Amino acid sequence: MMSKPKAQQPATIHKVIMVGSGGVGKSALTLQFMYDEFVEDYEPTKADSYRKKVLLDGDDVQIDILDTAGQEDYAAIRDNYFRSGEGFLCVFSISEQESFQATAEFREQILRVKNDENIPFMLVGNKMDLEDKRQVAVEEAQSRAQQWNVPYVETSAKTRANVDKVFYDLMRLIQRSKEASQNASGVKKPNSGKDKKDKKHRKCIIL
Amino acid sequence: MADGGLARVLSKQTFDPENFVNKVSQGGEDELDEMQKKIQRLADETALALKRNVYKHYSQFIETAKEISILESEMYQLSHMLTDQKSIISTMLEMSLTSEEVVTPGEMELELPTEDDVQSSLSILLEKVEGCSSMLEAPGRHLVHDGDLLELDPESLSPIRELRAFLLNDVLMLAAWLPHRRGLVKYRFQSLYELDNLAIVNAKDTGSMKNAFKILMFPDTRTFQADSPKAKRQWLDKFEETKKKKTARDKQRKDATTPDRSSITSPLDSSNPFTVDLEPSSPVSSDRPQSVAIEADLLHLPWLQELPEDLDVCIAQRNFEGAVDLIEKANDYLDGCPKSAAIREYRGRIEHRIQQLTEILMKELQISPERSIRGGPRAARRAVTQLIRLGRSAQACELFLKNRSTLSKYSLRQVKIEGNTALYVKKLCELFFNTMAETCQEFIKAFPDHFGCHAAFVVWAKQEINEFLSTFKSQVFVNKTPFAVVSDCVQEMRKCCDQLSDIGVELTFVLDCLMAEDIEKAIQDAGDNQMDAVRHRAMEDNWLPMNFQNVTALQQFENSMINLGIKNIHKYTFGECFTELTQNTIQFTKSYLPFLDAMMTIYSSQHHRLITAAFVDILEAQIRHAQVCARDTKFTKEVV
Ligand SMILES: Nc1nc2c(ncn2[C@@H]2O[C@H](COP(=O)(O)OP(=O)(O)OP(=O)(O)O)[C@@H](O)[C@H]2O)c(=O)[nH]1
Ligand SMILES: [Mg+2]
Repeated sequence: MMSKPKAQQPATIHKVIMVGSGGVGKSALTLQFMYDEFVEDYEPTKADSYRKKVLLDGDDVQIDILDTAGQEDYAAIRDNYFRSGEGFLCVFSISEQESFQATAEFREQILRVKNDENIPFMLVGNKMDLEDKRQVAVEEAQSRAQQWNVPYVETSAKTRANVDKVFYDLMRLIQRSKEASQNASGVKKPNSGKDKKDKKHRKCIIL
Repeated sequence: MADGGLARVLSKQTFDPENFVNKVSQGGEDELDEMQKKIQRLADETALALKRNVYKHYSQFIETAKEISILESEMYQLSHMLTDQKSIISTMLEMSLTSEEVVTPGEMELELPTEDDVQSSLSILLEKVEGCSSMLEAPGRHLVHDGDLLELDPESLSPIRELRAFLLNDVLMLAAWLPHRRGLVKYRFQSLYELDNLAIVNAKDTGSMKNAFKILMFPDTRTFQADSPKAKRQWLDKFEETKKKKTARDKQRKDATTPDRSSITSPLDSSNPFTVDLEPSSPVSSDRPQSVAIEADLLHLPWLQELPEDLDVCIAQRNFEGAVDLIEKANDYLDGCPKSAAIREYRGRIEHRIQQLTEILMKELQISPERSIRGGPRAARRAVTQLIRLGRSAQACELFLKNRSTLSKYSLRQVKIEGNTALYVKKLCELFFNTMAETCQEFIKAFPDHFGCHAAFVVWAKQEINEFLSTFKSQVFVNKTPFAVVSDCVQEMRKCCDQLSDIGVELTFVLDCLMAEDIEKAIQDAGDNQMDAVRHRAMEDNWLPMNFQNVTALQQFENSMINLGIKNIHKYTFGECFTELTQNTIQFTKSYLPFLDAMMTIYSSQHHRLITAAFVDILEAQIRHAQVCARDTKFTKEVV
């Protein structure tokens, strides 16, 4: 069923999803990471995906970024986006308190859809260059991250501060989680022919 | 015609047979006879007329059918021409530079397409795509956009297949190209996705991948490539637009059904034809909104609304029982609802999931090279049970038996070929019939109360035996196999087969029928061999008692004869090493008695005559030899 991947393309793909309210800078972060560019103007996203080859701790891997709409108002469709992700960057803007509050809902929805408390997930406070307009205190964000048991990182898509860091850190979390689930499954199922599908199923069933 | 009057009497509406018979019987024997002839003639004529009528109508019927098909093709051509014209007009509209066209869509947006549009676009679609008709027959459905797409592997991004995609107002249908098709049907239905839960992703160009977009529909993620940036843009726009319209439509419908909430102001409400200003207590007044409300209310139970998606999840998790439970629950509920457009539409949503589930279940039963063959009967039974619940017992039965055939063949191949034919065949037989017995038991468990399927089982079993026999024959009924071995093998097979009757399957007679010829030949050959030996020995007979030279050899001889069943062999021995029997007699005994044994082993009433004939012929030949010897002067001294 699967055609063989081309030789030069790394087989491993990490699927990252950008979530967060509208205008917090998900697209800006993605574009900065992808193309080293900062976009000044705001154009609401519908759903874009990006693919890039990167070197992660000496290994060639691919990152697949799904940049979702903050404005989307149909939850059912969001479920479908979230299901396809292996790791999540949950972004808010430090200059907008509402966007921080919204992260709780995103987190909740992701946990419900993925059914996995340990899903690779990072809380990202963007627009850290706008220190003078800060509405969300570092401590406030950190305590929420702690409560969720996830890392908290502040970024700026404008200055590129910590942009690579959030993506690479998340990929490492994904990598680790894949290894863990492979080890767990290795014992149970030596049959590796269709492990791609199985893995998805397993995640659903764990509960 | 003289009988015309009688016919009229008989065919009268108020005809009273009793009365008629009474009257006729008064006239005496001759008249009765006459009447009988008349009636007989009438009956013959009627039968003939009936036949003629049937034929006459039959040819008319064929004629009509032809007419209809001609009409049909003409209609098709007509509709084709109409769509061509329509597309010409629309391209002309697009080309015109006036802004007219830009204004209208806004107004048209909420308008449902006219009945004709719906009909034509959908009927053309139905004709082009094989296997989609049942799914698309929902009221108000129409085609929005279609085009060719190249599906890419979501991981490696290499091309997989070419597809034709059809975006309808509420679903996306994908169809595979049928190569080398000239006629109307160009595609085969592949999958159907509801727009409600369909997530579209614009995939930015990277490397070789250009103009792509993704469709996320749990559990599928599929990547498609359009021909050009423009084509891709069009797809994305159409998707968005159609989805928006659908949400608006659904919302409208929902608002219409929940008039209480209409006080929560929504811009749509003002234009909503179904919203009537109501006092909180007054019931819905006009007929139409009420019925719409009832039918939508019937569907607005939370569990029913979530059911299609729950079903998707069950299917993805391979929780087949759960999926079928849900389907049955939905069907039970829907059966109790009045038939209406909304219910039909909902049923359609369930229907295509049933199709999907059925396909998966059928795949479970198909043995594919990559799947372990030892998936086991339990897995098969599980799939079968669910298929039966879905009303697909015939297919389930067929696949189940096919599955078992493969399993049986596979295990037979695992048996090591042995030098010893009898041993090897014994193993084969045991395995084959054990598997057959297991299949039978599994079958009874899997298809309880499906007696129609039991017939299929019998047919299958017969076929299996036939195939197994060809293996068996190639091992057993070959030239060099000794007759004793042949009969052992046959007996072994019969024994194994007889055991099946313990569980209610009687197949030995099938076996006997299929082997009859080979067995006859084996008997014939063995008998001929015996005869040849008798003749051969007769020529060399010197008619002298055997001398065994010493006591031990004599002892051995005695034992071997006792083993053959001649318990009183002592009567024929004397001295230390002599027997009164000649070499000829001893050899005959040693060959004839085992031959008898083998014959009795292979015996079945079917071969009774052949077997007895062989016995008698050989014995007679031997006796004849003795008689000839007795008369022969050469042996006068020796004959006692
Ligand atoms: N100063 C500053 N502005 C930023 C930063 N990140 C994004 N912006 C600006 O914020 C606005 C919105 O950014 P986007 O990246 O488009 O927001 P988004 O999260 O993708 O929004 P949606 O697609 O609607 O969900 C844009 O005008 C960006 O220029 C940042 O780190 N610093
Ligand atoms: Mg965006």
